Amino acid sequence: MTPGKWLGVLFLMPATLFVVVFFLSPVLLTAVFAFTSMSTATGVGEGGYLITPSTLHRLAERGMDRSTAESLGATTYLVNPETLSRARAAGVAAATLDELGQRHAGKSFDGRRGFERALKSLNNRPRSVRALKQAARHFETSVLNRTFGQREDLLAALAASGVRLSDEDRERLVDASYTGWTWTTDNLRRMFGTADTAQVLANTLIYVFVTLILFNTGFALVLAITTFYLPTTEAAVFRGIWFLPRITPPVLYVLLWKWFAWDTGFLSTVLGWFGVASRNWMLDTAFNAWVFVVLINGFVGASMGMIIFSSAIRAIPEPLFWASEVDGASRWQQVRRIILPQLRWPILFVTSYQTLSLLTSFEYILLATDGGPGSTTEVWSLAAYHTALNNYAGNLQYGYGAALALVLVIIGVVLSLLYLRIFNFDALVARPRIET
Amino acid sequence: MPRARGSGIIVALLAAASAPLVLMYVFLVIETVGEAPPGQLLPDGFTLENWRFLWEDLPGKANIWAVTLNTFIFASATTVIVLAVSSTAGYALSRINLPFRAYFLAGVLVLHAFPTVTLIIAIFLVLQMIGLYNTLTGVILVKASLELPLGIWIMKGFYDTVPWEIEMAGVQDGASRFTVWRRLILPQVTPGILALGVFSFLAGWSEFILPQVLAPDNKVQVLSVYLAGLIADDYDLNFALFKSIGLFYVIPVVILYLFFQDKLMNIYGGGTKG
Repeated sequence: MTPGKWLGVLFLMPATLFVVVFFLSPVLLTAVFAFTSMSTATGVGEGGYLITPSTLHRLAERGMDRSTAESLGATTYLVNPETLSRARAAGVAAATLDELGQRHAGKSFDGRRGFERALKSLNNRPRSVRALKQAARHFETSVLNRTFGQREDLLAALAASGVRLSDEDRERLVDASYTGWTWTTDNLRRMFGTADTAQVLANTLIYVFVTLILFNTGFALVLAITTFYLPTTEAAVFRGIWFLPRITPPVLYVLLWKWFAWDTGFLSTVLGWFGVASRNWMLDTAFNAWVFVVLINGFVGASMGMIIFSSAIRAIPEPLFWASEVDGASRWQQVRRIILPQLRWPILFVTSYQTLSLLTSFEYILLATDGGPGSTTEVWSLAAYHTALNNYAGNLQYGYGAALALVLVIIGVVLSLLYLRIFNFDALVARPRIET
Repeated sequence: MPRARGSGIIVALLAAASAPLVLMYVFLVIETVGEAPPGQLLPDGFTLENWRFLWEDLPGKANIWAVTLNTFIFASATTVIVLAVSSTAGYALSRINLPFRAYFLAGVLVLHAFPTVTLIIAIFLVLQMIGLYNTLTGVILVKASLELPLGIWIMKGFYDTVPWEIEMAGVQDGASRFTVWRRLILPQVTPGILALGVFSFLAGWSEFILPQVLAPDNKVQVLSVYLAGLIADDYDLNFALFKSIGLFYVIPVVILYLFFQDKLMNIYGGGTKG
C-alpha cells in the first residue's frame, strides 16, 4: 500500500473502533441478549450457586426425594482447620480449641446437642453455658444461604457437609441453585403470546401515524407553504417560533407542556376564570393523554419538514409563479399544480425518515405521560424501556426488554437500508482523484 | 413574487396555531422572577426566590454547580471526540482511495439513519459488563460514538467541497498527504468543524435518555437528569422553581444558537430528532 493509503487507514481507525464497540456491537448484542433470561435477579455477569429454602422446595417438586432435599438444609458441626481458625479469630479460648482440634479433628456432628456434648466433655471446656453456645456457633456449617462462585465450590461444600447425593440429584441441585442467567427462547414466545403486546402495538401505530400525518408532514407542509407566501419578516418570525421546540432540551420542553396542562397550570387557571374545575388536562383521560402525546411530538416534528419543504419550495424557479399569476391562477391552484408536484421527493423523504424516528423515540412520552394514565399511551419503544430499564416493580427484565428492542432494531436496519436505496446516494460516493 | 394578497388571514391562522408555543416560552421567562398569587397568571411582584437553587442545595439533590460542571464536561468531551474522529475519518472517506471505501460510506449512511435509541438496553448491559456504568467516561464514549456517523458524513461533505487543485498543488510540491491535510485542507473546512462542534455541544448539553439510563448517580448527574428527577419526585409541582432551573439550563443553548444560527440550520435540516 502507498503512504497515502496508510494515512487513510490510520485516519479511519479511531472512527471504526468507536463505532464497532459502542454502535455495532450493541446492535448484535441486542439480538444476543434477547435470547437470555437476564434480569436484576440474575445479574449480567456470571452467576453463582445459592441454595435457599425455596430451592429445596423446588427440588422436591422436581422429583428429588423429600428427605434428601431436607437433609440439604440441615446444619452440621464440623471440626477442621477452617472452623477452628474462625473460632480462634472470634476469641474462643485457645486451650479449648487446641484440645478440640486434637480430639475431634475432621469429625462432623449432626446436631447442635451432639456437638455441645462433645465440647462439654473437653478438659478445657468453655466456662459458662453462654460461652459454650457461642463457641459452638463458629462450627456450624450449612450449604444453605451461602453463595458459591463455582460449581466445584458448591460440590466441595456439599461433600464437606456430609450429605450424600446421587449423580442425578447433584445435577438437579446444581441447576436449581444457579443464580445467573441462562439461554432461553421464552422472551419471544412471551412477546408474541400476550395481549399486552397487541395493545402496545396498536398504541404505537396510532402514535406514529397520527403524529406523522397531522404534524410531521401535514402541518410542516402548511408552515412551509404559508410562510412562502408571507412577507419575509412575518415568515421569519413564524419559522423561528416553530423552530424553538427543536433546539429546546427535551426535559425543559416537556416541562413547559406540563405547566400548560397541569391542574395548577395555564389551561386550568384560564378555564377557572370561566368556572371550569381545575384538573390535570394531560392525564385525566386516555383521550387527552393521546392528544398531548401527539401535540408534544408533533410540535417538535413539524420543524424538520418545515425546513426541508421550505428550501425545496425556494428552489422552484420563480418564473413559474409569475407565469401562473399572469394566466390567472389562484393561490390554491399554484399550491396544487406547482408546489406539491415539486415536493414529491421531499415529502417521501420526510415521511420515511420520520416514521423511523417516531417509531423508535420515546423520550417525550416518557417525560410527559410516562405511558399513562394506566398504560394507555405505552408505545413499543417505551415498553422496552420500562421492561428493561425502569419500572415500579423493580425487577428489570433485561432479556425481555432486549427482545422488545430487537424488533425495533430489525425494523431500523431494514428501513435504513431501504432508504439508502430509495434516496440514491450513489452520486455522493464519487471516487477520489489522487491515487497516491 | 405574488405575496401580498390575503396574507392577513394566513397570519391570523398561523398566530392561533403558534399561540401555545408563544405562551409557553413567554411564561418560561416571566414566571421565574414574577410573584403571582394562585389563580392569576400575570405577576404583581418581583422575586428571586425561585433562583435560590443557585446558592443553596435543594433537599436530597446534588449541588447545581457540580451538576452544571458535569454537563459541561459531558458536552465538551463528546464534542472533542466527535470533532477529532470525524475530521480525520471524513477526510479519509472523501479524499483517499481506500479499499472498501464504498462500503464504509454506505455503512456511515445506514448508521446515520439508524435510530440509536433502540440500542440503549444493549449499551446499558455492555457498560455494566465493562464497568463503565454510572461513570461520565462511559456515557461520553457512548454519546460520541452514536454521534459519529452524522459527524463523519457532515465532515465528508465539507471536504468534498474543497477544490482538488489545493491538494494536488501540495502533493506536487512534495508534501506528504498528512502535511497537506494538516496545513492546507483543514483550514479550508473550519466552517464545517465549527458547525459540527456547536451542534455536538448542543446535542450533548440537551441529551437526556443516555445519561438518565447510563449515569443516573448524583455524583455524575447532568442538568437534564437533575431537572427530570426533580419534576418526577415532586407531588406538588413547583413550576416557578422548575422553570428557573430550566431557564438556567437553556441559557448556553440560546447563546450558542444566536451566534451560530445559520451554520446550525444545515445540520438540523437533516436532524435526527422525532
